[in-house]
Amino acid sequence: MTRMNPQRRSLIRTLAGVAALSAVGWSAAACAQAEGPIRIGLIYSKQGPGAAIGQYLQRGSELAVEQVGRKVLGRPIELVWLDEPNPQVSQQNMQRLVDENKVIAVVGGNYSSSALAMMSVANREKIPLILTGAAASEITGKSCSRYTFRTQATVPVQMKGLMPYVSQLGKKVYFLTASYAFGQDILRSSRALLKENGATEVGVDEVPINTADYSSYILKIRQAKPDVIVGGLVGGDFSNFMKQWNEMGMKDKIPYAAIAVTDTDFWDVGPQASTGIYVKPWYYNNPKNTEVEKKMMADFTKKYNEPPSDKTWSGWIGMRALLESIEAAKSTDSKAIVTQLEKWKNAEGEIPFFFRDWDHQMVRPAVIVGVKKQITDKWDYFDVLKNTSASEADTATAFGTKEEIGCPMPAL
Amino acid sequence: MPGRLRTDGNMLDALVSQTANGLVLGFVYVLIAVGLSITFGLLGVINFAHGAFFALGAYVAWQLYQLFGWWAVILAPPIVGVVGMLIEATIIRRLYGKEPLLSLIVTFALALLIEALIRYGWGADGKPFNPPPFLSGIVEIGPLLITKYRVAVLGITIATLLALWAFLVWTPYGRVLRAGSRDPEMVELLGINLPRVLTAVFGLGCALAAIAGVLAAPLWTVSPSMAANAVMPAFVVVAIGGLGSLRGAVVAGLAVGVVTSLTIQFWPEAAAASMYVLMFAIMLIRPRGLFGERWERFE
Repeated sequence: MTRMNPQRRSLIRTLAGVAALSAVGWSAAACAQAEGPIRIGLIYSKQGPGAAIGQYLQRGSELAVEQVGRKVLGRPIELVWLDEPNPQVSQQNMQRLVDENKVIAVVGGNYSSSALAMMSVANREKIPLILTGAAASEITGKSCSRYTFRTQATVPVQMKGLMPYVSQLGKKVYFLTASYAFGQDILRSSRALLKENGATEVGVDEVPINTADYSSYILKIRQAKPDVIVGGLVGGDFSNFMKQWNEMGMKDKIPYAAIAVTDTDFWDVGPQASTGIYVKPWYYNNPKNTEVEKKMMADFTKKYNEPPSDKTWSGWIGMRALLESIEAAKSTDSKAIVTQLEKWKNAEGEIPFFFRDWDHQMVRPAVIVGVKKQITDKWDYFDVLKNTSASEADTATAFGTKEEIGCPMPAL
Repeated sequence: MPGRLRTDGNMLDALVSQTANGLVLGFVYVLIAVGLSITFGLLGVINFAHGAFFALGAYVAWQLYQLFGWWAVILAPPIVGVVGMLIEATIIRRLYGKEPLLSLIVTFALALLIEALIRYGWGADGKPFNPPPFLSGIVEIGPLLITKYRVAVLGITIATLLALWAFLVWTPYGRVLRAGSRDPEMVELLGINLPRVLTAVFGLGCALAAIAGVLAAPLWTVSPSMAANAVMPAFVVVAIGGLGSLRGAVVAGLAVGVVTSLTIQFWPEAAAASMYVLMFAIMLIRPRGLFGERWERFE
């Protein structure tokens, strides 16, 4: 037992050191927030399968800060970026941002499960949270919160935009979706839309997350002979499927249509194997992009030597909405910021967009894109087909009524 | 009954085609698992970083392909093998004879480190990598559909396994390895430089992981975290086959491939669980795995 002593002593010393350091950190942070820099938290993946997505989201948010000269309310902005590896750690990181870094607001959350966990902290600590991904309906539905805002369109909205294209491709539909909340959301909303579009379901496979090999699923799809596949796979799962779909000679045989994909999924797969029709929040090479978006694209390309993905746009618009609302609030008070976010509106494009005050969902059409027949550019994979809705009124209808959404928005 | 076969397609066709597909997939699992099994069997180290070497193999192959074209990818496994030997000589060597838990923790850290280095060096995005043009296309025989590339993977895997088996059984070097794994002291008393042999073994395990990585690169996305999806089946295969048994890895790999394929066809809801159920059942009957032997060192 005597051998344990040096270890124990060093452990105590380390603990004391950590405590001393963090005390210095806390007092510095407490002093700083009144006068010095304004801290804003970011929660995006730094490792694992979501790392590429996290990087583009972070670069978008970072760019929005640079574009305002790294200042808000005349004070310097400091970004603190923590990881989003899973719901538990994302929630702890959210708490850390509030307790230790004294942030006044957080931008982040790509996964619905993490987003829901982070929302509980935002609510308790009264910290504005702008979600830049996370498509599950309940985030702005039955689990909605006064302090949370979301930029991405929900699954039902995206499916409503996609289904008319699906029915043009054929009437026999095969579903290949992820076997968790997101995939089930797709199945629920598509099945409701199948009849309207005169289509029938010939098969469904709900694929477990992190499936590496899809050859058995592809053989099944081949036997079922559908006219079109409606997909709901995400990230690495989607890339793996697409690669093997091409490898097994199916690429030009049965069309594939899906929502919630991102450019990096296709950059990972390469031009040879990419195919299909998709709904995305934004595309960099869309002639209808606004001047401000084109400027963002130019700034991004200059800095990173590659075009921004739609995730960059999401990170960018989320941060812009926050910074503009802080300026409008003329204060770092969270209630004032939330009030301004509810009034925030972007009128730079044909269809103005905003966060709906009764559920905090951003109401804005997404784009429908198709993979080009011939891809000649390393980054430019898509032709923009159209928007999910064509007018302001159509967009409002597509996002559903108060009764359909069912958000019991609490008082501020 | 969502998910089940709904067309009038012949049940037998589906059975034959999925079984064949499962066997091919099984060989890929065998190749990933066999390096893991050898490292454990000969060094007593459970190498959690095996998947990281798998990913490193794919990345090195991608880089070589970019620089020199298709044929250069065969250099990837030896390069990764050398990296493995350097890591053995500096880090892994200190774990021999220690608690297995220690080797788990250290190699887990190593896995995270290698993944982070790959992300640092090659970026967080994946890299597009498709089968070479001379191996693209499919072969159809009756109900069987298999891609030319998978046929090539099958051929290379079988050749690699045969070479490995011949090396371990018939060469003097192989005899030293097998003896060293059972009684290191006796082998050293005979005047053999065992530490150098062990370095080579670890390198061999890493090179095998890299061969699997190179072969998997055109099938699965090449990204820094690509190993995660591939390595879990490998651990299951090793557990079913018995740690350290080459024969066990082959039988278990094929079983896992076929069981997974058939469950996807006939009971898709259970697809994720099927290989673990198989492992559980075999562990109940044979706790050391199908061909696992009693090892004095680990009892």
